Amino acid sequence: MITWRFYFEMMQHQQRFIYLSLLVVSLLFSCKPKSSVQNQAKPKIVHLTYWCASNQNEINLAQKLVEKWNRDHPKIQVTLQPIPASQSSEEVLLAAIAGKTTPDICSNMWPGAMDDFISSGGLVQLDQFPDFYEYMRQRLPNDLLETFRAPDGHYYQIPWKTNPVMMMYNKRMFRQCGVLHPPRTYSEYLQAARLVTKDRDGDGHIDQWMGYRDIRPVWWQRFFDYYCFYIAASGGKTLLNGSEIIFDNEASVRVFRFFQELYLNGFYPKTTFQGDNFLAGNLATQFCGPWNVIHVEKFKKPDFEYDIAPIPVPDDYQGPTYTYGDHKNISIFSTTRYPQAAWEFAKYLITPQSDLKLLEICSQIPLRKNLTGDPLFQDYFCKNPMLEKFAEQALFTRGVDGSSVLKEIFDGISQEYEACAVYGKRTPEEAVKNATNRAQVIMEWNQP
Amino acid sequence: MIKKLRYRFKSSDTIGFWMVLPYVIYFFLFIGFPLVFSFILIFHRWNIVTPMQWIGLRNFYRLFHDVQFFLSLKNTLIFLLINIPLQIALALLLAVLLNQRIRLRGFFRAVFFLPVIVSGVVITILWQQLYAYETGLLNLLLMKIGITKIPWLNDPDWAMPSIAIMATWKNVGLYIVLFLVGLQGIPRYLYEAAEIDGAKPVQQFFHITLPALNNTMVLVVVLSTIGGFSLFIEPFVMTGGGPMNSTLSAMLYIYNQAFYFGHMGYAATLGFFFAFIVLLVVLIQRKVVERKD
Repeated sequence: MITWRFYFEMMQHQQRFIYLSLLVVSLLFSCKPKSSVQNQAKPKIVHLTYWCASNQNEINLAQKLVEKWNRDHPKIQVTLQPIPASQSSEEVLLAAIAGKTTPDICSNMWPGAMDDFISSGGLVQLDQFPDFYEYMRQRLPNDLLETFRAPDGHYYQIPWKTNPVMMMYNKRMFRQCGVLHPPRTYSEYLQAARLVTKDRDGDGHIDQWMGYRDIRPVWWQRFFDYYCFYIAASGGKTLLNGSEIIFDNEASVRVFRFFQELYLNGFYPKTTFQGDNFLAGNLATQFCGPWNVIHVEKFKKPDFEYDIAPIPVPDDYQGPTYTYGDHKNISIFSTTRYPQAAWEFAKYLITPQSDLKLLEICSQIPLRKNLTGDPLFQDYFCKNPMLEKFAEQALFTRGVDGSSVLKEIFDGISQEYEACAVYGKRTPEEAVKNATNRAQVIMEWNQP
Repeated sequence: MIKKLRYRFKSSDTIGFWMVLPYVIYFFLFIGFPLVFSFILIFHRWNIVTPMQWIGLRNFYRLFHDVQFFLSLKNTLIFLLINIPLQIALALLLAVLLNQRIRLRGFFRAVFFLPVIVSGVVITILWQQLYAYETGLLNLLLMKIGITKIPWLNDPDWAMPSIAIMATWKNVGLYIVLFLVGLQGIPRYLYEAAEIDGAKPVQQFFHITLPALNNTMVLVVVLSTIGGFSLFIEPFVMTGGGPMNSTLSAMLYIYNQAFYFGHMGYAATLGFFFAFIVLLVVLIQRKVVERKD
């Protein structure tokens, strides 16, 4: 029979059991969320996504760099992905910003598109990192660094590499035609063109020219004729200074006149070529970046001799020869959850060792002070003397202005280049004036 | 009275409502909404990615200072001036011929209509090959008969006429069909009476056929004008608007502003302005053609 005392004791046991159970459960629940918060604040492994350019050489480079990084940094793991295919990487990046699907970091940022990226709030301000200036000043001279500053006074890109546009010339053809040294000025270039341009087989048609440029008014084609020549002739100026148009000057007129003379005299053909006519020995010069050295080395005939020289300048020009450098930079996107980790990875991409890999795998020039004097790179440049010339030019390069209407301004210049230089239907002065007027209307329209 | 006016829904109305609903949805989605949205865009600067910026009437200010746009309008008018008369004359001539009792009439009617149903891009690429300066069939034929090569698409003076010839070839079949319908509606007794009066075939054509085709003519002129104003595929594929912007049509320029430069607001402004011009031209044209009647 159950007595009251027994019943009371049982109740006490049950209560103790219930209290004890509640205590254990509450402890468990209180511990679990606490531990997950700790995990979020201090994750054991940070995962970053890195987009590189989609050409095979740069994918190979990025794979090597990422493999090493992941080995050395088990707590910050990087996943590599080439930029998805499209007409241009800028389009992909803009679409990614709109869809908030950007990677943490990307190394194929074209300075000309930065304005759109910044105004859409897609990029992390890099000068917020305390060691940003220390790293940048070690890498670049101040005047060049300034060209990458955004209109709001901050930096959103790490200057990484450049492809200076220079003159590649056929040494043997020059020698055979009596051109003793590569032309440095417009007069010398035109003089060499008179000697070089000829009808070799006597069929009444010219089949050897001084050079060739794509005559279609495609805006980016002007990087390899008007724009690099304009930068050289103006001593390193670009098209804009903030919202001010600065290409309506004598340097522009001279460049237009120079190309007009080349077409007018038949030194450049007004046609479209298939294949590489420079390698075929039909052209004496071409204007290209260091990427072309790999191509020429791979496909040249054994007796083909070539060399590299700076872009020709006006006869009375004094000072260093600047040119267009097709810069590609590194940026961190504002969708990243780990900006500090992304910054650490970005710093790794610009170490001297990574820069050496960039040279070795891609034949592209890192934007770095004293590149040719640094013992680390000397062995490479001894083996690749052509690329040393591009490396020497690297710090005398200018990129493009970061404006959202830059493409259309270049389009205006392209239209005038076609009308003036190729077809000779406008004087150089008229061409510069028309291009400037169009740019003025576009800039006024684009004012905030 | 009110009771009389009050509409009473019947079950057949419900069926009618469901029948028209797909088109109503289509209209609001693909015509109404884009139209209203484009109108809003007129006052904005927008590149799809960055937020829209209100800029008031600045798009209009740019439009009236845009030399390229007015050049593209001029090019479009040049195209129309070549294309419309050529197209109408050729279509009428072929329609009159195909209206006769000739052998293989059905075959010829089908052949002339064939280019209308073939993709514009395919035809444009084909003609690009025909027009090629060095290797094109047309220049090879010219050289065979001792005529020098013509820079069909490479010369600013030749490029737009070349495109107009190609567009005429592509569209003439449609207008042949329209003229054939018109021709078959002309009573035979008019010709018989004229013959009795001693009218020759040429006189019959100018005094019976042409006046009787006036309604068809208005339709053909309006259709070919609107079609000509929307010139896009041919310059886009063949020349990209060059050489020297000589084939830059208004539609191509608007397309470039929207999808090449990403200026959606400005492109919308150009689009509305252009639509207004087309409307104006068509109204004037109708007045002129109808007055002749």
